[in-house]
Amino acid sequence: MKCVIGGAQLRVFGRAIHAIARISDEFWFDPVEKGLALRSVNSSRSAYACVFFSSMFFQHYCWTAVSQPCQKEKQLSLPCKLIIKSVLPVFRCVNVLERNVEKCSISTSPSEHHITFQLLCRHGVVKTYNLTFQECDPLQAVFAKHMCPNILKVHYRLLADVMIHFPTSQEEITLSVTPMKVCFKSYTEEDTALHPHPSLQGLLAFSEATSVPVSIHFDRCGKPIAFSIEDLLLEASFILATLCEAEKEAASPEPACCPRPWDSSKTGMDKSDQPSMDGTSNAATAASKKPQQKGNTPNMDPAKPQSALAKQEVKNIPRGMERDVPGRAGAATAKAVGREATEAPYAKWDQLSQQHSWKTPALLGTLLGAASYLYKYCIFQFHSLFFGAVSYKEKEAIGDTFQSLVTASDTEEDSGALQSSPVL
Amino acid sequence: MPFSAQPPASGERCALSASLDNARHLSSLLRAVHFQDYATCLATASGLRVTVEDAKCIQANAFIQAEIFQEFSVQEESVMFRISLSVLLDCLTIFGSSSLPGASTALRMCYRGYGYPLMLFLEEGGVVTVCKINTQEPEELLDFDFCSTKVVNKIILQSEGLREAFAELDMTSEVLQITMSPDKPYFRLSTFGNAGSAHLDYPRDSDLMEAFHCNQTQTNRYKISLLKPSTKALALSCKVSIRTDAQGFLSLQYMIRNEDGQICFVEYYCCPDEDITEAEL
Repeated sequence: MKCVIGGAQLRVFGRAIHAIARISDEFWFDPVEKGLALRSVNSSRSAYACVFFSSMFFQHYCWTAVSQPCQKEKQLSLPCKLIIKSVLPVFRCVNVLERNVEKCSISTSPSEHHITFQLLCRHGVVKTYNLTFQECDPLQAVFAKHMCPNILKVHYRLLADVMIHFPTSQEEITLSVTPMKVCFKSYTEEDTALHPHPSLQGLLAFSEATSVPVSIHFDRCGKPIAFSIEDLLLEASFILATLCEAEKEAASPEPACCPRPWDSSKTGMDKSDQPSMDGTSNAATAASKKPQQKGNTPNMDPAKPQSALAKQEVKNIPRGMERDVPGRAGAATAKAVGREATEAPYAKWDQLSQQHSWKTPALLGTLLGAASYLYKYCIFQFHSLFFGAVSYKEKEAIGDTFQSLVTASDTEEDSGALQSSPVL
Repeated sequence: MPFSAQPPASGERCALSASLDNARHLSSLLRAVHFQDYATCLATASGLRVTVEDAKCIQANAFIQAEIFQEFSVQEESVMFRISLSVLLDCLTIFGSSSLPGASTALRMCYRGYGYPLMLFLEEGGVVTVCKINTQEPEELLDFDFCSTKVVNKIILQSEGLREAFAELDMTSEVLQITMSPDKPYFRLSTFGNAGSAHLDYPRDSDLMEAFHCNQTQTNRYKISLLKPSTKALALSCKVSIRTDAQGFLSLQYMIRNEDGQICFVEYYCCPDEDITEAEL
């Protein structure tokens, strides 16, 4: 395989590498006929990134199928894993990359055991990096982006302006969405034992380089949330696990703010859902309860149009906020995406939605509809993404408290029961 | 404002006495060779030479010629002593190392001779500091015997082209391999680290190349930990000359322009790494 990245695209490529670097120390380098995919997953499997560059992104892209492994000569079998730290120096100083580097060529050859990055720089200087790699199993997250009932499309600048209010050490951010507004919230808590989320800064920097808006696909709390960027030349997805309240909390006197997530494993609506065990993840229950956020009680004003960029607030919620009136969640969008409304947990939603006559504008058809979901801070459990690259032997007795949207997949083909989005 | 010195007690002469309006002219050069605690100072009529060595493999010299000083006098033919470079630098920068315009430390240096400490009088903004640093018996210095007749390959490069390369050297590599050749790749710096190998090629017709005189293809390896300190000198310099002799000894000479535009030199000499003879690609 050989490809050449020209001047302007170098910045995009470098930013992609830096964005992926925030997820993990290593990444999958996966050239295919149509282009080059870079993928990464963190050790707790709670964050996944994939950036796919189509062959048109490159000045020159040439890929030949790997020969059969039965040949005597040792073949380079891809995909392969590279250590991020060894690649980052190649794309150091992304901002000046464009100025200093004319082009970068990446090549692999069947008999060699390294990937060569060659940069043609200013003053005729040539930098050549021969990086060793590890062979590995394919990595692929099967995540039905199109099955997400909620999509938020935001220009990177707006998202960056929001994120700037949160310190980079912020471990988690809560996104709460109503048809009227989008809220990003954070709070500080001393004694939590939660896995940190990777920063979105890398993704935002990447988005700025591409100047493509960021689409945020999400479902109810507990389901993964996907941040994606798509244009003609490339497609990037960053999928993060989200946190949701545990079953116990849902049984508390107040009505649940969101339907019991665990039950939906019996439903067929998220066809890509399959209860699966991830031996490596833990039920990360927070040691302490967190205050609930002030609810966004749905605004009954139906006449308010949804703006193209949802209005948002940035708040810091101190401890001890009063418990809110849990939202009467409108599940109108859930219906709109074609879920079967008869499923048990969603029946509740339908009832609720009927109670309040939403007149959500026809913008639902566009990408900007949102239902009202409230995320509670209290005790959380993880949804983690399960990947084909990880093999599991034992089924843990966690029951159906763990589910994920991804299943084992060793091949690129869709299996019947799965509805997967195009390979990420 | 020149510092009017406190002269030594009448009747006593200093083997070495010098005064400098801006101590930074001296301290910045000394920093460029500060990879060991101790240095050997040699003062002659032409100026001051400060030498630092390590492992009997590497030697760095900083030259501050007499013209740089406002006053420079050496009573004997030459004066030599060993001194703690770390302490000397701490004293020279006692008023802080930031270079504020207009504010500079004035220096007066005085060495009475063998067995006496080096006296420093430093003044800035009316505040005077007197430092007395003990001196030691000078040790024998390496002689790399590098003269122009023995040079096999020589190139002169603009420092800006090398600065980034040296700052980014893969330190997981044990060696820095230098290839100089009349044919491709002309001038190549290579490292072999944990992640793989990296090569930096400078073509002979690059506009960074000020002079290119390579007669023979030579590939030599040097311990990267020994050469890494030279990055400081490279950062200060505007040009660097790279020379090798028949045995693979390396000479790096850095031309440094100080704040007043005066030229000083720092040089590094390094022995090749004996263990490896074959070059890897």
